[in-house]
Parts: sequence; structure tokens; C-alpha cells
Amino acid sequence: MTQQQAFTLPPGAPSIDEMIAAERRRARKRLWTALAFMAPAILFVTVFLLLPVVFNVYASLTQWAKFSGFDQFAGLANYQRLASNPKFFDATINTMIWVAVSFVLPATIGLSLAMLVRGVPGEETFKSIFFLPRMFSATAVGVVWYYVYATEGIVNAGLRAVGLGDLASRWLYESHLATPAMIVTHIWQQVGLMMVLLLIGLNALPSEPMEAAKVDGASRGQVFRHIVLPLLMPTLIMVTTVSVLAGFTSFDLVWVMGRDFPNRSTLTLSVNQYWESFRAGSWAYGAAIAVVLGIIAMSISWSLGALQHRLDKR
Amino acid sequence: MSVTTTAAEPRFDLSTLDFDAIARRANPARTQRVVLFAITAILALAWVTPFYYLAISIFKSNAEYGLGNPLALPTSLTPVFENVAEAWSKAKMGSGMLNSLLYGVVGGGAAIFIAALASYGLTRIDFRGKGFWFMLIFSGTIFPLQMYLIPLFMGYNKLGMTNSRIGMMLFYTAVCIPFPVLVLRNYMAGLPREMDEAARIDGCSEFRIFRSIILPNCWAPMATLFLIQFTWIWNDLIFSMVLTSREEARSLMNGLMVLQGSYANTTPNVVMTATLLASLPSVALFLLLRRHFMNGLKLQSL
Repeated sequence: MTQQQAFTLPPGAPSIDEMIAAERRRARKRLWTALAFMAPAILFVTVFLLLPVVFNVYASLTQWAKFSGFDQFAGLANYQRLASNPKFFDATINTMIWVAVSFVLPATIGLSLAMLVRGVPGEETFKSIFFLPRMFSATAVGVVWYYVYATEGIVNAGLRAVGLGDLASRWLYESHLATPAMIVTHIWQQVGLMMVLLLIGLNALPSEPMEAAKVDGASRGQVFRHIVLPLLMPTLIMVTTVSVLAGFTSFDLVWVMGRDFPNRSTLTLSVNQYWESFRAGSWAYGAAIAVVLGIIAMSISWSLGALQHRLDKR
Repeated sequence: MSVTTTAAEPRFDLSTLDFDAIARRANPARTQRVVLFAITAILALAWVTPFYYLAISIFKSNAEYGLGNPLALPTSLTPVFENVAEAWSKAKMGSGMLNSLLYGVVGGGAAIFIAALASYGLTRIDFRGKGFWFMLIFSGTIFPLQMYLIPLFMGYNKLGMTNSRIGMMLFYTAVCIPFPVLVLRNYMAGLPREMDEAARIDGCSEFRIFRSIILPNCWAPMATLFLIQFTWIWNDLIFSMVLTSREEARSLMNGLMVLQGSYANTTPNVVMTATLLASLPSVALFLLLRRHFMNGLKLQSL
């Protein structure tokens, strides 16, 4: 026996099996150590974020309202109710307007501002000025712009001062003007963020392709369209994602500015969801609206993410 | 234009000619820059007009506000004291400020510490299934906040945690964890491996390595992340609306919203004053630490 051991392993050394077992033990120990480090995060996220989402999806399939009916399964009845509810219809239309505008305008205006501000004397100051509205809460911005749009507010005063007094109106009280007015406010607040993000993207671009194109005699417009824009695409997609998600879930602004909804014309899905659940007490129905919002949000971020991925591969 | 001015120069003596001035005048890029500057300045002026409106309105009495030109400078500065006093008491801003400060500091601080712990586990320790655990934590960012509202309200209601400061802090901590995990994970993965390997060979415990080696190297991104999350919590409205109804636990923005709801049309000057007071802390933080905020946006765009 002693001879055999001396031939394979030195005396007292563990066998191969023992070594594998020891390595497994160490790997398991590492997993537990890592889990111990991650435990608080996993616990918080699961209890306060993930379980609520699961609960919300379940609740949307029940008859839950005013503290009863939680255990009565309703199938898709709440979603059928959504389809036939005029308030939900109006809220969806308005939300679509928010989404469509947030797709195009914040990124476009942000890019124009970025190109404008870049290299201008006092660039840092201008950047801060355009970014400043972002530091105010949507609540505060909503309150200020509620007065900006008031009958005697600065928009109307400005219009009268330049002789366009006929255009003065009660912006937030006319059903066809209220949502566009809120969107203008939202863009005023968000666009500085888009500008800064795009400036970061612009400054990270390699300078060689642009210089090469200039040497070859390309005009500034050509350089921008054929070189800067394609290189900037990933940043533009990221900015669009941020802006669309911020646009269609915006609640605070619409809530504060649209307090006196001229017959539902400013209602969005997020306000509709709050109203149905916390004012009307139709919990299951409100949960169904939240699920619709979740599906829209995830499809937007997934499709833009997929687009990003395809660009990265090219 | 530039050509004619140089040609119209009366005497053509090379020694007295100011080449710099000619170059400056002849440079079309310069005129372009002046035009661009002018456009930017006009836009910036338009951009700050609402702030100007806000700033002058707090110096106007109710009667003065109702009269005439909304952009006119106030006639005297004294009404501001009355406005502040009225806004402070009507919007319960004392307790609101304290609550928002508490939620922002504790929620933001705890979230970032917890995120740093998780990122340490995800980057400095080898184990299988890293992707899964990261996605589990990060999935906290993919759902719109509306999906949390009803379950949270119901859960808190059952546990008697509505209108509780602890409840608010716990939720704000949770909601602020996933994004810092993404950032800190990327950051820690970039730190050299040798630092902690050496300490591990010397027999340091993992927590000791985290505390004495990794954490001191992460202060910069952690401070920036804290600023981002603090302002997010400070500016949040909806969770305070859903989870608190009484003023003891109500956040500042919730108080402002309630004030606007009842006094928007009767005392606009007071509501404006409350708005400015409620926004001052986060705006001042931005103006003081502008560079950190801009760095934070760089983190966000990674």
C-alpha cells in the first residue's frame, strides 16, 4: 500500500476525488459569500419591486374593488372593460400623442441645441441654463407653467406685446390646446438632458473620419449627415428611449397642470390608472391599466434595444 | 464683405498694417460664431423666462400680482416675507422639508451602499450564474412605476405602514438600488484584480477587502450616484401621494401639490413662493456640484 501511494501521490496528499470535492466546496463557499453580498439588494428588489409586479398582474385578473372580490377570478374581464371604456380610449389616444411627440421632438431639439451650443463662447453656462429645468421637479415645473399659461400669464402677455393678442387663449382650459401645451412644458424640461447626453456622445466621436472628409472637400452639412449622424446613432437611440419612456409615463406634470381637465382632454394612461385605482377604488381595473402601461413600456424599450443591438453588430 | 473692407483700407503700408485685425475681420468663421452666439443667447433668455417669472412673483403681494403685466418688476421687496411665512405654514413646508431630506439622504445613501455591496459580489468573487443574479436585480428598472402603486399601497395598508417614514425610506431605498448596481458593477470590473488578490492571500476577509480596498476606490461614482438618486427622491411626487396622506410623513412635493390644489387661483403669489422654496435645495445642489451632475450623466449614457 505504501509502495502504491509513493508511485502516484506523495504521502498525506489528498486523492484526485478529494481535490475535486474540495474545489466544489470552495466554489460553493464563494457562491454563498457572493450571495451574502448581494442579499440586501436581492431582498429589497424582490420584496418592493418584483413581487408587486407579479401581484399587480394577478390582481388585474380578479374582480377586486373596494376591498372585496380579490379572490374572485375574473379572467380577462377587466381588459374587456378597458376596450369599451371611453375614458380609457381618450387616455390611450392622448398617451399615443405623448409617445409620438417624445419620439421625434426631444432628440431633434436636443441635437440642434447640442450642435448650437458646442464651441460657442460660454458653452458651460449655456449648457447649465438649458439643463436647469431638469433640476426642478415635474411638480414644480407644472405649478410654474400653470401660471405661465394662465389668462394673465406670460404667454398671453407676450402674444399681446407683439400684437398677436388674438391668439391669446386659456391654454389649459381649451380641450384642443391643453395636451399640446403640456407637451411643450415637458419638452422644455427634458430637452436639456437630451442635449447634454448628445454632447457627451458627440465629444466621444473619433475625429479622424470628419477631418478626412473635410480634407476631401465635404461641406459641413455633408459631414454632419454622412459621418456625424451615423456615428451618433447609438446615442440618438438611447436618448430616444429615455425620452419616450419619460414622456408616456409622465404623471406629475399632467396631474398638476390638468387639475381642471376640460372634459378628459388631457387624460393620459398614468393619470387614468391613478384615478381609477386610488380615487374610484376599482383596484383590479387600475391594475389592468398598469399592465397595459407595462406592456407598452417593455415593447418600446425592447424594440429600441434590438435596434441598438443591430447597429452594434454592423 | 470682408474683402471690400480690406480693399478700402486708405494707405497700403505693410509695416503699419494690422494683420491680426484683418485676419479677424476676414474670417467668415468669426461672423458665423457671433451669429451662433446671438441665437444661443436669445434662446437661453427665452429658456429662463419662466424662472424669471417665478423669481419676481415671490416679491409681489396678492393684489400686485393680480394687476397688469406679469413680467413687471415688483414695486417693493417686502411682500416676500409675508409670502414665505404663508407658504411655509400653508404647505407645511417645515415637516415636508425634513421628510424629503430624510427620504433623500437615507433612501439614496442606503441604496448606494447596498448597490456597492451587490456590485462587489458580482465583480470580485467568482461564482456561476452571475448573469442571472445581475438580471434579477437590474429587472427592477424595466417596469413603469405605475405597476408598483396598487400592490405597494395594499401591502403597506395591511402592515399599517402607510403614513410611516420608515415605510417611505424602505421603498425609496429599494427603487434606487438597480441603476447604481449597473454603474458600480461596470466601474468595479475596471479596478485591477491584483489589489484584492494580494489582500486575499494575506488572509483578509471578503468584507474587509470590500471595506478597506474597493470602497475607498469607488467614492467618486458613488457620490455622483448619490446626487442623482437624492434629487430623484426629492422630486418624486407619486409615491408620496400613494403611500402617505397625513402631513407627518408627507414629502415636500406632495405638500406643494396639495397647496396648489387648493390655493392655485386665490393666492398665486404664495403658491409660486412655495414652488421656489421647494425647488431651491435641489437647484442649489446642482449649481454647486454641476460637474458631478454632468459626470453622472456620463455614467447614465454608458
